[in-house]
Amino acid sequence: MKFERYALAGVLALSLAAPLAAQTPEDLAADASTPGNVLTYGMGYGQTRYSPLDQVDRSNVGALAPVWAYSLADTRGQESHPIIHDGVMYVTTHAATMALDALTGRQLWKTALDYPAETPRVACCGIVNRGAAILEGRLFRTTLDAHVIALDAATGEEVWRTRSIDFKTGYSMTVAPLVADGVVIVGVSGGEYGIRGYIEGYDPETGERLWRTYTVPAPGEPGSETWEDEAGDAWKTGGGPAWLTGTYDPELNTTYWGTGNAASWNAGVRPGDNLFTSSVLALDPKSGEIKWHFQFTPNDPFDYDATNEMVLTEIEGRKAIVHANRNGFLYVLDRENGELIAANEFVDEVNWAEGIDLETGRPIHTQIYHDAVAGEPVTYWPSALGGKNWAPMSLSDQTGLAYINTFNFGMNYKAVEPQYRAGVFFFGAEFSWEWPDGHRGALRAVEPTTGEVKWEQRSDIPRNAGVLSTAGGLVFTGAQTGEFEAFDAESGDKLWEFQTGSGIVGQPITWERDGRQYVTVVNGGGAVYVLFAGDERLAAVPPGGNVWTFALPGE
Amino acid sequence: MRKTVLRVLIGGLAPLAPALLAPTAGASELEAVLAKGVSTYKTFCSHCHGIDMVNAGTGSYDLRRFPLDQRARFESSVMDGRGDMPAWGDILLPDELESLWVYVATRGGRDPYPDAEEAGAAPPPGAPKPEDSAAAAAGPPDLELVDEGRLTVCLARNGGALSGWRHEGGSGFDYRVAEATADGMGLDLAVQWFESEPEEESDPVRETYALLAKGLCDLVPAVPLYEGALGPPPAENAAPPRWDGMPTRDWVEFVPLEPVAATRPYMRAEIGIVTGPGVERAIEGPEDLAGLDLGVQQGTLSGAIALAEAPQATVDASVTFNPGPDFLWKLEGGAFDAALVDVAAFDFHRRQNPVSLLTLHDWRHPLGFNIAMAGLERNPNLVAAADAALADLAAAGALAALAEAEKIHYAAPREPWMQRRLTRRDLRRAP
Repeated sequence: MKFERYALAGVLALSLAAPLAAQTPEDLAADASTPGNVLTYGMGYGQTRYSPLDQVDRSNVGALAPVWAYSLADTRGQESHPIIHDGVMYVTTHAATMALDALTGRQLWKTALDYPAETPRVACCGIVNRGAAILEGRLFRTTLDAHVIALDAATGEEVWRTRSIDFKTGYSMTVAPLVADGVVIVGVSGGEYGIRGYIEGYDPETGERLWRTYTVPAPGEPGSETWEDEAGDAWKTGGGPAWLTGTYDPELNTTYWGTGNAASWNAGVRPGDNLFTSSVLALDPKSGEIKWHFQFTPNDPFDYDATNEMVLTEIEGRKAIVHANRNGFLYVLDRENGELIAANEFVDEVNWAEGIDLETGRPIHTQIYHDAVAGEPVTYWPSALGGKNWAPMSLSDQTGLAYINTFNFGMNYKAVEPQYRAGVFFFGAEFSWEWPDGHRGALRAVEPTTGEVKWEQRSDIPRNAGVLSTAGGLVFTGAQTGEFEAFDAESGDKLWEFQTGSGIVGQPITWERDGRQYVTVVNGGGAVYVLFAGDERLAAVPPGGNVWTFALPGE
Repeated sequence: MRKTVLRVLIGGLAPLAPALLAPTAGASELEAVLAKGVSTYKTFCSHCHGIDMVNAGTGSYDLRRFPLDQRARFESSVMDGRGDMPAWGDILLPDELESLWVYVATRGGRDPYPDAEEAGAAPPPGAPKPEDSAAAAAGPPDLELVDEGRLTVCLARNGGALSGWRHEGGSGFDYRVAEATADGMGLDLAVQWFESEPEEESDPVRETYALLAKGLCDLVPAVPLYEGALGPPPAENAAPPRWDGMPTRDWVEFVPLEPVAATRPYMRAEIGIVTGPGVERAIEGPEDLAGLDLGVQQGTLSGAIALAEAPQATVDASVTFNPGPDFLWKLEGGAFDAALVDVAAFDFHRRQNPVSLLTLHDWRHPLGFNIAMAGLERNPNLVAAADAALADLAAAGALAALAEAEKIHYAAPREPWMQRRLTRRDLRRAP
C-alpha cells in the first residue's frame, strides 16, 4: 500500500505562482508533503497524520525534550489540532483563538470568545474545540454556541461571524472546519439532543452560507423511506450530527464526512435504516450534493456514531477510505463509489454483530442487537463510546499500518421511551458501564484490510488522544494520565515519554523549520472519558491545558 | 432514629442499588422524588458531573462533596449558573429542581436524606411542615452562616486588651466573649482576623460595615451602640480593612454596604483618669488635676473631654500628643503627669508592661458607650441567636468573670442603651 500524495506536478506549479505569504487552495492540497507547514486538520486532506520527517527517529527519540510550553489558561479538555503557517502556530480552545511564534511559543495575539451562560449544557461530551482552518490569510473556526467565524490571521480580528442555528435547541459546534474547493465546510454537534444533523458550506470571503445538507432527509427526500415510524415525525429529531472534520480528495473533488448516531438511542421507535445516520457521505464541496453514501450501522441503538475520520489512502490500486468505526469494525471503502472492500474487527470484543456482510455492507446481527432494539436489557460491546472514540488514528506511509487508540469496555443498556424536550438529553435509554478487569484500552497497530493486530500497548486508563506516525519509524500519542509517548512503529516498544502535567486528549503534529523537526501536542485532560466514565483514578491528574513543543537538543 | 430502608432500582441495570434511609413520614414521597431526581440528573447533569454522580472531580465539580446544608447555594448555582456551570433556570421546572436536590443530598440515593439540622432550611420533601410538628420547635433555629456549623467573628489582630491574634486561638476580652457566645449558640468559633487601621486613618464604623458586607464573618464585636454606627450604611461602598487571607492586589476593593443590626451590649467602654509614677495624691475627678501636667491625645474623645473638664489653667498648660499606645508609655516615662484615657487602653498598656507604675483611678466620665456585636440586618435570626447567648452570659455573671480572667476593668452596660449623637455639652459631666 502506498500513501497517496496530492502534491502532483501541476499542483506544485500552481503553488509556486501563488503569493508567498498566502495559504492557497494548492498549499492546502499539498499539506501532507510540505512538512514546514501544517495547514489542514489531520496533516493533509487525507488525514493520515503521517509525516515524511525523519530527523527524530528510533535511535534518537530518547533525547527528545521540550522547547517551550504555552498555557491555554483553560481547564476544559483540550482537543485542538494546531495549524502552522510560516512560523506561526494557531491554536484554539472553546474560549479563545491564539497565534504563537512557533519557535518560541510567544503569544502573538489572542482573541477571546464569549458565549451565553446556557451554552455548555448542549455540549454532551466536553466543552471542546478541535481547531481552526486557514485560507489566504484568514482563520476559520466554529464556536460552542453554533457560530462560524473568520479571523484575520495576522491580527486575530474578527472578519465575519455567521450564526448557524439557535444553540438552545441542542445544537453546538466543536468541529475544525475543512476548506475544500474554496468553501468553508462545517458540521454540527448534538446527537444526544434530538437535533436534525447537517453539514454546511460557507463562503470564506463573506461568511454567507452557500449550502446546508441535512443528514436526515425530510419526508419525500431521498432516504426518507428509511424512516418508517407510523407517526412519521421521528426524522425531526433524528440525530445524525457531523462533529468531526471530513477528508477531501481534490482529484475527485469530493469531501467525505462521517455522520453520527440516530436519535434517540431507542431504535425501536424509529424503525427503518434511518439514513443517513451512522454513515459516510461523499459530498460535492461546492454544492453539498450527496454523491454517494454508505451506512455502517443501520437502525443504530448503540450510539455508534460514524463521525470518526475517513482516512484517504490507496489500497490495491484503488482510491480508498480507511475508517475505524465506533461499532468495532475497521472498514475499507472504495471512495469513488462507496463500495465495501473490507471490514474487520479491530477490538477484542464485538458482540452486537458477528461481522459485516461484504456483499450488502450490512452488519450480521447477533441476538443482542435484536434484544436491544426490542427494549430488553443487554450488555453490549463495544460501549457507546465505541471501540474507538473520536481520537483520530494515523495511517503510516512507511509501515502501511493503522495506529489506533482503542477502547475495551462494554455497556449495560436498556431502551426506554424517549421524551423529547428541546435542548436537553434525548437518550431514550438507561445505561451503565461494563468494565473489564485490567486494561480499558490499547494503542494498536492494525493492518487495515485484515484487521490483524501487529502489536498493542495496553493501558488501564484508555488513551483518547490523536495518533501521529512519522518516517522516523515512530508513533506518537498521549495518555490521559499526562504522558506524551513515542513508540517504535514496527515493534510497539515504548521509546520515550514525557509527563506534561495534565491528561492528553489532543492531537499531536510534527513540523519542520530551519532544518529542525518539532513535535507539538496540546495537553489538558477532560472531555468525554473523564466526564462520563467516573474513573476516579484520574482524580490525581489535574486539568489545565498547555501547548507543548518538543525537539531534539540543539547544536 | 426513625428510619426505614427503601430500595431504589434504576431500570434494573444501573450499579445504583442504594439503601435510601428517610424519615418514616413521607418516605414514599421521598422515594418518588428521588426517582425523579435520578432521571432529571441523567438528563440535565450527567454529562458533566458523571454517570451516577461519579467523577474524578478534576474537570467538573464532584457533587458528592456538595455541603448538605447549602441548598440555597445549590439552587442558585443550578438556576443561574456559577463559574463553568451553565444556567438552567429557563428550562428547569420547580419539581425537577427539588428532585435534583434530593438526588444530590442523598448522594445519588446512596445515603439517607440528611437530618433537618444538617440540611439547613430544607425540610425533606413530603415531611410534615414545621408548624405541624411539635418536634420541629425543639431544634435550634436554622442559621445562615458564613461557614457552615461555625460562628465566624471578625476580630482585630491589633485589638489590644480586647482582641489579639495567637498562633492558635486568640486573646482578649472580645475573643473570650465571642468564644462563649458561639458556645451558647451551639457552634464552634472561627475567627477572621483583620488589621484595624490606626484611628486617624480610618473609620471603624465603615470597617465594621465592610467586613460584614464582604461576608468575611457573621458578627463583628466591639461595636459601640452609637447613633450612626448602626442601621443604614454610612456610605454606599467602603473598603474592608486588611484581613488574613486577603489577596494581594494593587487596588483597593470597595464593597457595597448593607444595613447592620446589633445584639444587646456585653460591656461598656468608659473613660477614666490615669496618673504617672510621681503622682501620689488621690484623684476623684478632673478638677483634682490642678497643678499637674496634663497630656492630651489629639483628636480623641478622651482628649476632648480632658480639655472640657480639667481646670482652665491645667488645660492651658497641657501638652498634646499623637494618639496611640505610645501615649501611655510617655506617661510612664514622665513626659506628663496625668491623662484621660479609654479604660481598655489602660488595660492594654498594663498587659504590655506588667511592672507599670501608672494608676487608674476610680472616677469614670458619665459618657460611655455600650459595646455590642454587629451582624447584617438581613440575617435577623443570627443576630437574635447571638443576642440570646449574650443575655444568658450576662445573667450568669459570666461576662464579669471573663473580664477578671483577662485582667481588664469591666463595666456592665447601662441605660441609655443607645448613645445619641454627641454634642459639646455631652463632653462635660452630667450635673
